[in-house]
Amino acid sequence: MSAAQIFAIVIFVGMFIMIVLDKIERHYVTLGSGLLTLVVVFGICMRSGSAVMDTLALKGFITKDFWYQVTESESKGINWATIIFIAGMMVMVEGMAKAGFFRWLCMKIAYLVKCKTVPIFITFMVMSAVLSMFIDSITVIMFLAAVTIELASLLKFNPVPMILSEIFCANLGGSATMCGDPPNIIIGTSLGFSFFDFLTNTGLCAAVSLIVSVVFLYFAFRKEIAGGKGEPVDMSKFPKPSEAITNKKDFVISSVIFALAVLLLITHATTHLTVATIGLFIAAITLIAFGKHALELIKKVDYKTLLFFIGLFIVVSGLEETGILKLIANFIGDISDGNVMLMIAIILWVSAVASAFVDNIPFAATMVPIIQSLAETSGVPISTLAWALAMGTDIGGSATPIGASANVVGTSVAQKNGYPIGWGRYCKKIAPATVIVLAISTVYLFVRYL
Amino acid sequence: MPQVIISIGREFGSGGKAIAEQLAKRFNIPIYDRHLITEIADKTGLTPEEIEKYNEKPKNHLLSRRVNGYSNSIEDNIAEMQFNFLREKASSGESFVVVGRCSETKLRDFKCLVSLFVLGDMSEKIKRVMTVYDLSEDKAKAFIDKKDRKRKRYHNYHCEGHWGDSRLYDLSINSSRLGLDKTVDLLEEYIKSRMGE
Repeated sequence: MSAAQIFAIVIFVGMFIMIVLDKIERHYVTLGSGLLTLVVVFGICMRSGSAVMDTLALKGFITKDFWYQVTESESKGINWATIIFIAGMMVMVEGMAKAGFFRWLCMKIAYLVKCKTVPIFITFMVMSAVLSMFIDSITVIMFLAAVTIELASLLKFNPVPMILSEIFCANLGGSATMCGDPPNIIIGTSLGFSFFDFLTNTGLCAAVSLIVSVVFLYFAFRKEIAGGKGEPVDMSKFPKPSEAITNKKDFVISSVIFALAVLLLITHATTHLTVATIGLFIAAITLIAFGKHALELIKKVDYKTLLFFIGLFIVVSGLEETGILKLIANFIGDISDGNVMLMIAIILWVSAVASAFVDNIPFAATMVPIIQSLAETSGVPISTLAWALAMGTDIGGSATPIGASANVVGTSVAQKNGYPIGWGRYCKKIAPATVIVLAISTVYLFVRYL
Repeated sequence: MPQVIISIGREFGSGGKAIAEQLAKRFNIPIYDRHLITEIADKTGLTPEEIEKYNEKPKNHLLSRRVNGYSNSIEDNIAEMQFNFLREKASSGESFVVVGRCSETKLRDFKCLVSLFVLGDMSEKIKRVMTVYDLSEDKAKAFIDKKDRKRKRYHNYHCEGHWGDSRLYDLSINSSRLGLDKTVDLLEEYIKSRMGE
């Protein structure tokens, strides 16, 4: 093993440990590790200027393909398309939140089902999944959990089962589209898949899984959510949905922009606009529409997550450029011994188990070059491996309270309101639900792609 | 009486809590230690036992995560609730004594804060712990070490300064030198002088 490979591994493992220890903010950890990769691995060990340039991938900005892509292409190094797209969506979501869109939607749906506990439980699960197809699950859960707690205190039911189910469905919904979950954006932009590719592949599996999950979670929690059942609901005590809207003009504008974003994403394979272009465009029109409040929206953008991504991509490039990821791919190829079924199962279940305990974003970023290499050597279509990876990382993250960002935010909101959710409480019903969906995904992958 | 907030950090077995109770009596002000737990319990609907389980405990890094300022560690959230509760009390103008809870750091913006740290000789601490908890010498020593390690981790996780570092407190005092009563006398004088400023 060369010095470059050893350093690349040490930096990568060190970065993971530092992220888990949470002593230093994670964006500093990945940026510091990224800098070390550039200096030590590429500079001192490899003396390769081209590796640095490939990793920084700045040339991509001036290519037409980055903004308008007729043929699918794969990217290396820092995945700027992912970063620009996420930043753009962050601006849009901030605009929607400022206008009161999410709270309005939650309240409106609660009103439509006449504030009855079981219908709220079911509709909120579906809403969580549908919203997470287009918006980051952190935002979705932040609002849903807060409204759930508010409704729980008015309707006298325990909000914990509902919050847990919303978290699960948010992760499931996120797996359905290219922009639903960060691993999917990374997989999609790195391997050149479109929104529609995801929707017709992982999306179909997510739809089937959602139906099964809603039924499973209903039966798992039905006793706990029964709460105030039987008592007549006095709707006059509830906050009106319209009260959630802070500014009607902003509300209409942000709703239109959201609809436009959905439309652009669904049609981007036809329009050839890349997700980077869509992200930039959506951010630009949001900022223009919000005029004097534009600066306020920009300030609210979670730049730490964007920096986290940049550092992460550099560290993963260190593993890629030094050939470590190829070694891992060969290892997976060897143990599956050409058996495609076993290869798919390994990718899906290993991704799921890993994502249940570590951040699924670094995991997906690391796995993308591995499956690329595996597809080249084994002849298995890259798309099959990509869907296995996407489902594994997205769904596996649901299993534990630390597996995905939505889980952390949802359980945190519950705790801050006096509903502690420990590992036992969380995993008792959600881990079996995760296993059920993973089993469905395994069967789906085998039946559809083999 | 002008508002005074007396924050007392302490080594386990140093008698810090007893000193805090004495000071609360002498100044006739409430003390927040275990009481904080019941106050938080009333406010949140959690049982005191649930809060006690996670009280002044460092979080488990492997079993929890933080995302965009949201932590799903129950320890973190209980700690945050206690810090907020203390800030609210301090802002309301109430005088009180508080034991631990990183109060010397969390309340440092309040001019009326007097922050103290009580330490003790190991031999004295062992004696006290042996009597109070009915333990052998070895077990008492191990118990002290374990408790202090926990407090240190809890404090250093939530604050920038280091637990027990004299630069963090207005006054650090070894209770083994004068004994508890005389230490209380001395601290009372000091606090009175500070209140007269």
